[in-house]
Amino acid sequence: MHKKLLAAAVPLMAVGAMTGCGSSSDSGSGGSGGDGAPLKIALIPPSGGPLAVFGKDSTTAWQFAADEANANGGVDGHKVEIVTSQTDGTPAATVRAARKATQGGARFISGVITSPENGALQQQLPSMNAISFNTFGKDDALTGKQCSANAYRTVQNTAMDVDAVAKSLEKLPATKWAIQAVDYATGRTAAKIFTAAAKQAGKQVVLTQYAPLNTTEFGSYITKIKNSGADGVFAIEFGADGVAFVNQGAQFKLFQGLKSVLGFNMVSEPLFDALGDKIEGFYNNIGYVHQLDNAKNRAFVAAWKAKNGGKDPYYVQADAYLGAQTLFEAVKKAKSVDPAKVKTALDSLSFDSIVGQVSIRPGDHQILRDSYLGQVEKQGSGLGWKVINTVPASETQPQADPSCKL
Amino acid sequence: MDLAQLLNGLAYGALLMILSSGLAMIYGLRGVMNFAHGALYMLGAYLAYEVTQRTSFWAALVLAPLLLAAVGAALELGVFRRLQHRSHIEVGLVMFGAALIIERTIVLIWGDDTLPVKAPSALDGTANVLGTDYPAYRLLIIGVAAVMAVALVLWLKRSRTGLHIRAASHDTETAKILGIDVDRVSLVVVALGAALAGLAGVLAAPYFSVQPGMGQSILIMVLIVVVAGGVGSIGGAMVAALALGLIQTAGNVWIPSVAVLVPYLVAIAVLLWRPSGLAGKRVA
Repeated sequence: MHKKLLAAAVPLMAVGAMTGCGSSSDSGSGGSGGDGAPLKIALIPPSGGPLAVFGKDSTTAWQFAADEANANGGVDGHKVEIVTSQTDGTPAATVRAARKATQGGARFISGVITSPENGALQQQLPSMNAISFNTFGKDDALTGKQCSANAYRTVQNTAMDVDAVAKSLEKLPATKWAIQAVDYATGRTAAKIFTAAAKQAGKQVVLTQYAPLNTTEFGSYITKIKNSGADGVFAIEFGADGVAFVNQGAQFKLFQGLKSVLGFNMVSEPLFDALGDKIEGFYNNIGYVHQLDNAKNRAFVAAWKAKNGGKDPYYVQADAYLGAQTLFEAVKKAKSVDPAKVKTALDSLSFDSIVGQVSIRPGDHQILRDSYLGQVEKQGSGLGWKVINTVPASETQPQADPSCKL
Repeated sequence: MDLAQLLNGLAYGALLMILSSGLAMIYGLRGVMNFAHGALYMLGAYLAYEVTQRTSFWAALVLAPLLLAAVGAALELGVFRRLQHRSHIEVGLVMFGAALIIERTIVLIWGDDTLPVKAPSALDGTANVLGTDYPAYRLLIIGVAAVMAVALVLWLKRSRTGLHIRAASHDTETAKILGIDVDRVSLVVVALGAALAGLAGVLAAPYFSVQPGMGQSILIMVLIVVVAGGVGSIGGAMVAALALGLIQTAGNVWIPSVAVLVPYLVAIAVLLWRPSGLAGKRVA
């Protein structure tokens, strides 16, 4: 038995030892902050796993923004250079890749996907003399107790998303809600805020249950929801968990008996094909929709479609593009690519973007931008979003996180 | 626990049963954990997606296990047989490497996105079971697992090949002395084990979802089933799979906050009180 247990453990340890191997591609050379120096940006996406697709899409959007800027003579005269270094998505590998990239002259880092990676990276940024742009990780702590003077988030955080959903609750017909949440901080926080908002809106929460991350079998949870008497479900299940919950819910005919199905980060464009017609009518928080009606967004969507076979950008690509625009605006304002000067510019930055007017909150480096509640509807031959409610940044966590000490 | 929850436990246990039977057979004969078993299950699910897109789910249910049997035969000839005199740790490492290669190859072919596989339209709805509406597709999984279990046990107990498998699993050297062609037996076992992984993958495709992490996430559960069932015992693995499915469901209903720990607690309890597993050394 000992030999057998050892046989099981050794490969696992070997995999642990193997993690962190990365590969990088460099499309430019190092630079300094002086006149004509390139604006060198390191992207550190994961190469494998379920989040790799987001890393790939984020990289594509940064490259799109760089090509667009370079075609117009660079950013304030600085040519944009992208260095991509893929990792296995672990915090240690990400920090190693970032250190290597900064040693190669990159002073601006993005493309890091998960919150743990961003959290680990943020603590090391001052020693690298680098600035990071988080365009994907939503964990509140990244602009809370883990915040860093050199880290900026250009996507809404979890608290903002939950607030946007909670403030839209009155627009949904269901009155008796069941909460199905993933069993970690985001799920519990979202459930707590939703319960308080439901009470305030005169609605009732009849069931709250948590499933561990990576749950594949939702039958027992769905049966409990069906037995609870709920006429609405608030589901905080992500990625493959969300797909499994929706597919199995459809098999149980769960959604047919409900007035509202509200997802939190559960339904998004990349999953439309996998989920199919069964999600038509579902509500979900959304951070970006390509239909946003402003001049910058119209121009972005048109240029994106022209370069990407007529496909509209979705939130990961648009959020990465917004991250690039934030950096470019700061460089223009600083008139330099020196990280210290860019940082000073970022701390009081406000500009007109593809999502309207945005600003960086100086207290925790969180971007302030609108959030939305969307409903899935048929659009052409596929599915798309209809915006049900727009919640301005002033109503979603308007104050800086007090636990952030910059 | 009401009838629907009981059926939930049975359906989940049935899927674990199909998957773990193959792993237990290989473990019993070759003495090594096939860490690529989750990757083979994943390959079965992706093949189900591909075949369903081109023809039908029913064709996938036949074709994917056959293709996986061929992959299993290749693994036996290319890895297990060549490394049969090497330490279990080395073979385990090689199989772990094989799992990474298979999983990465799948992502290179089909991409990172979650892919849809629809249940056959006839099974898309619910069926009435003693007054309870229950998804028909889950009943199919329970039915397939029941047929497989009976067929596998009968084959192992009544057929000549089954006798040879039981003999070789019990004592390879003595089986060889008695004239049993252990290499041929092993080829059959590994091919069949891989085919069962493929069958489980096909059945799981409309049940869960087809995505790159699916092999890794279920492998741990299946390893627990095999250890709890009895090292290499197919019957033990079957009983342990059903029991684990039911216990996990009961945990979700009654003690949801700690239900995630249930499989690990079961594994620890079995290893402490009955280290050779529920079925001990019995193969079938």
